[in-house]
Amino acid sequence: MTSIATEAPSLAEIRPARRALRVRLGRRALPYLLLAPSILLLAGFTYLPIFRVIWDSLHEQIHGSRENHFVGLANYVGLFSDTAFGQAVGNNLVYAAATVPFSMGLALLFALALQRSTRFNAVLRALLLFPSMVPLVAAASLFFFIFLPGVGLFDYYLAKIGLHGANWLGDPDIALWSLIGITVWKNAGYYMLFYLAGLQTMPGEVLEAATIDGANGWQRLRYIIIPLLAPTTAFVLVIALINALIQVDHVIVLTKGGPSNATKLVLYYIFEQATQNFAAGKAAAASVLSVAFLLALSVISLKTMERGAHAAS
Amino acid sequence: MRRASLVIAGLMLVVVFFWSTPFLWTLVASFRPDAGAGIGMASLVPDYKPTLANFSDALEAGDFAIYYLNTAIVAFGILAVQIVTISLAGYAFARLSFPGREIIFYVFLLQLMLVPPVLIVPNLRAIVDLGLYGTLLGVMAPYFASAFGTFLMRQTFRQIPRDFEEAATIDGAHWWQTLWHVLLPMAKPGLVAFSLVSLMAHWNEFLWPLMVLNEPRTQTLTIGLASFALGSEGGKEWGVLAAGTLLVMFPLLALFAAFQRQFVDSFMFSGLKG
Amino acid sequence: MRWLPSLAAAAVAVLAPAFADAQTKIDFFFPVPVDGKLAKEMTRLVKTYNDSQKDVAVTAVYTGSYDETKLKAQAAANAGKPPAVVLMSANFVLDLKLSGDLVSLEPMLKADGTTRMQFLADFWPALHANATVDGELYGVPYQNSTPLLYYNKDQFKEAGLDPEKPPQTWAELVADAKKLTKGNGDTIERYGFSMPEGYDYLGWLMEALTMSNGGKYFNEEYGGEVYYDTPTMLGAAQFVEDLVFKHKVMPQGVVEAGGVSTNFLAGKASMVLLSTGSLSFIRDNMKAAYGVAFVPRNVRNAVPIGGGSLVMFKGLNDEQKKAGWKFIKWLSSAETLAGWSRFTGYFAPRKSSYDLPEMKDFIAKHPDAKVALEQLPYAKPWFATYQTVAVRKALEDEIQAVLNGKKKAPQAIKDAQRNADALMKPYVDQTALKLP
Repeated sequence: MTSIATEAPSLAEIRPARRALRVRLGRRALPYLLLAPSILLLAGFTYLPIFRVIWDSLHEQIHGSRENHFVGLANYVGLFSDTAFGQAVGNNLVYAAATVPFSMGLALLFALALQRSTRFNAVLRALLLFPSMVPLVAAASLFFFIFLPGVGLFDYYLAKIGLHGANWLGDPDIALWSLIGITVWKNAGYYMLFYLAGLQTMPGEVLEAATIDGANGWQRLRYIIIPLLAPTTAFVLVIALINALIQVDHVIVLTKGGPSNATKLVLYYIFEQATQNFAAGKAAAASVLSVAFLLALSVISLKTMERGAHAAS
Repeated sequence: MRRASLVIAGLMLVVVFFWSTPFLWTLVASFRPDAGAGIGMASLVPDYKPTLANFSDALEAGDFAIYYLNTAIVAFGILAVQIVTISLAGYAFARLSFPGREIIFYVFLLQLMLVPPVLIVPNLRAIVDLGLYGTLLGVMAPYFASAFGTFLMRQTFRQIPRDFEEAATIDGAHWWQTLWHVLLPMAKPGLVAFSLVSLMAHWNEFLWPLMVLNEPRTQTLTIGLASFALGSEGGKEWGVLAAGTLLVMFPLLALFAAFQRQFVDSFMFSGLKG
Repeated sequence: MRWLPSLAAAAVAVLAPAFADAQTKIDFFFPVPVDGKLAKEMTRLVKTYNDSQKDVAVTAVYTGSYDETKLKAQAAANAGKPPAVVLMSANFVLDLKLSGDLVSLEPMLKADGTTRMQFLADFWPALHANATVDGELYGVPYQNSTPLLYYNKDQFKEAGLDPEKPPQTWAELVADAKKLTKGNGDTIERYGFSMPEGYDYLGWLMEALTMSNGGKYFNEEYGGEVYYDTPTMLGAAQFVEDLVFKHKVMPQGVVEAGGVSTNFLAGKASMVLLSTGSLSFIRDNMKAAYGVAFVPRNVRNAVPIGGGSLVMFKGLNDEQKKAGWKFIKWLSSAETLAGWSRFTGYFAPRKSSYDLPEMKDFIAKHPDAKVALEQLPYAKPWFATYQTVAVRKALEDEIQAVLNGKKKAPQAIKDAQRNADALMKPYVDQTALKLP
C-alpha cells in the first residue's frame, strides 16, 4: 500500500505538471500554429502549383481529348523552336531594361523636386500618383485613343506644333516603346513614394554638414543622397522588375502582342498559348522558365532585401 | 537658392501638366456630345455644352453597380483575410523563436518573387479543382497569404520595444491579448500602408479575374471596362469609353484625394522604406 | 481558418444559381463586337423571350469580344458549367468541334422531324459551310457580315470624281485613291484608302482580297489546309504592299479598326474597308455624305462571310438541351433576325427575313443596306481551320511586317505558309497523313 502511495504522485501534484507540459507543448506549437494559415495558403497557391506546372510542362494534352501523355522535354523543344517565344523573351528584356531605369530615375527626380512638404508639393505629388491609382486596363483604354494615328490626342497636338506623329501602336519599331511609355507614366509616381519615404529618413545633419563643406548640389546627390538611398533603390528595383514581368493588361487591351509580335511579352505569350492555342504544355513550359528566372532573381536579391530589412529594423 | 526652387517648381508644374493630360482628356471627352468621333475629339478644351449622355450610355452598356460591388468584395475580402494571416505570421517571426524559423522565413521571402500572376496556368487548375471556378472566392484565394505583408508586419513588430508586451505579460495577458491590445495598435501605420497597397493592387487587377470569372454577376470593374474597350469590330464611341473609364477610376481617385496625406504619411512611417 | 469553410459556403450560396421550379434555366453567352448599345438590345430581346413563354428562363450573359466569349465558354465548360447557348464567332465552330466542345444539332433536327438540308434551305448558301462540320449541323447563323467599301462622297466631289461611281476594280481603287490622297510634302494629311489591319480583321480582309483575286484562302472541306503561298495570295499581299509603298495612298503600319473608322468619320481617310456590321455606327456618326460599294475586284467579285452563329456546348442535360434548342429556334426566326438586322446593320441570315414588309421598308429607306444585301450572292465561307486563330495569325504577322516595310510580299507569304503548316501538322498527321 505504501509503495503505491510513494510511486503515484497525488492528484494535487499531477495537475500542475500536466499543465506545465501542456503549456510547454503549446508554447512550442504556437509559432507553427500561427504560421499554419499562411504556410498552407503559400503551399497551395505557390509551391504546389510550381510542381504542378513542372509536371504539366512534361506532358501534352491532345487537342480534342482530355488525356495527357508524357512527352519529356518536347514542350521545351517546341518552345525554343517557336520564334514567337524568342521574340517575347527579347521584347520582355527590352521592356524591363527600359521601364525599370526610366521609371525609377524619374521617380527619384520627382521625389527630390517634391521632397519638401508644402501644400503646393502635396498637390503635385497627388497628381503624379494618380496614374498608379488607376487600373492598367483603364490606362490602356485611354491610351487607345491617345495613340490613335492621325486623330488621336498625340497626333492632334503634334500636328498643331507642326510635327508629324507616328503610328504609335501599329509600327513594330515603335509599339513596344509606346507600351513602355504607358508603364513609365503609370509607375513613376508610385516609385516616387518610396523615394520620398527614403528621403524622409535621411539624417538632415549629414546633408547640412556636406553643404557646409561646400559640396554642390550634384556632389551631394552623387556622393551622399544616392548612396544613402541604396536600400530604397534595391527595394524599388525588385518591385519594378517583377512588374515588368507580370503586367500585361495593356498588351491585352491595346495590341494583343502585335504588330508582328513586336509587343508580345512573356506572360502574354503564356496567356495566349493557354487560352487561345490549346497549348497547355507550351504554356506550362514557359511558366516554368519564368518561375526559374524569378527564383534566380530572388536568390540574388534576397541578400539585398535582407540587408534592407535589417537596416529598417 | 530661392530662385532655384522657383525654377524647379515651375518645371515640375509643366511636367505634372503633361503627366495629367490623359486624365484631362478623359474628363473633357466624357462630357462631350457627339460621342462618335470626328477630328475635334482629341481637343483638351471643353468647347461644347456638356452632356451626361456618355455616362448614361456607359451605365446602360455595363452593370456598374454589380461591378463595383464585386470589386469591393474581392479587394476588401482579400485584405480582411490578409490582415489576419500576416499579423499572426508576422508576430511569430518577430517575437517567437522556434526551430526552423530561418528556413520558414526564407520560404516566405521566396514567395515575394513568385507572385501569383506567373502561376496563372496551374493556379487556374487549382481553382477549378477546388470548385471555386467562376466565384469571387476563387479570385481571392491565391492572395490570402501575403509574404510581403508578413515581412512588413515582422519589421513593424520588431520596431516596437518589448517593454510594452512584457508589462502586459506580467499582468497575465495571453499572447493574443498582447497582439490585439498592444502590438496591432502600435503597428497601425504599417497596417494602413499595407492595406492601401493591397486594396489598390486588387481593385485594379485584371488578368487573373479575367481567367477565373465568367458570369456577369461576378464580373469586376476591370473586366467590365475591358469588354467596353475590346468589344469592337468597327466603331469606337470614344466619349462612352472615356465615361466608362472615368467611372472605373473614380472611386479610387476620390478615396486617394481624400486621404492623400495619410496615404503618403503612413507610407513614410512604415517599414516600406525598405 | 475555421471561418474559411463557412465563408466558402456562404459565397457558394450567394453565387450559385438558385434551383427552381419546373422552369429550365439556361445561360446564353453573347459577345457584342460592334458597340455597347447592342448589349442592351440583346438583353431586351431575351426578356421578350422570357416573358413570351413559361418553360425556359434564359439568362443573357454579355461576354465581351468574340475571343473572350470563346475563352469564357470553354473555361465554363471545363469547370462543368457549360453555357446552353453561345453566340460564337462563326469560324470558331470547326475548331470547337475538333476540340470536342460542341454538341451536334442533328438530334434536335431529327426530333423536330426535319433535316439539315431543309433547315438550312432558308439560310443564304454562303453560310452553310461555317454552320456544318463533317456533314452535321453545329451552328445556326445569327448575325452575319461581309466587308464593304465605305467612301466619302463629299471628298469624291472635291477630288473631281463622280460620287455615284465608286471604284469597282483594284485599278480604279488605286486611281481614285491617288486623287483622294492629299499631302503636304512628305506628310500626308488625308489618305485615299485605309483598312483595319489589327489581328482578326486583317485575316478576314486578306481573305476578301485573295478571293477578289480569284483565289481561295483555305480548304473549305478540310481543316488542315490553307493557301497562303499561292499566286492569288501573292497578288493580294503585293497589292497591299503597293498601296502603302508604291502608290502611297494607304497609311504605313498597322491601323486598328477603331482608328480606321475614326479617321473615316474625321475625313482623314476617304475610302475604307469595314464590316457591314459597322453600317449603323457610320450612319449615326458620319457628318459628310457617304456611300457604300462592293469590295473592288481584280479577277472576280467575292467576299468572305463574317459574324456569329448560335452553338450549344457539351455537358448539358436533356432538359437544358431541349430548352437551348427552343431558344435558338426563337432567336433565329425570320422576325427576330430581321429586327436584329435593322438594329445592328448585320444582314439577316434568313432569306425570308427580307420578305417581311418592315424589312422591305427598311431596305428602301437605307440604300447602304441594300448594297450590302446585293453583295451577298458573291459571299463565300469564312476561313476555319484546326487552330483557326493561330493559323490566321501566322498570315497576319507576316502581312503586318509587309505593311511596315519589314518584309516583301513574296517572302512574307512563304513564311506565313511555313508557320501555318507547322501549326496544323498535328492535325494533318492524325488525319490526311495517317496512312494504313
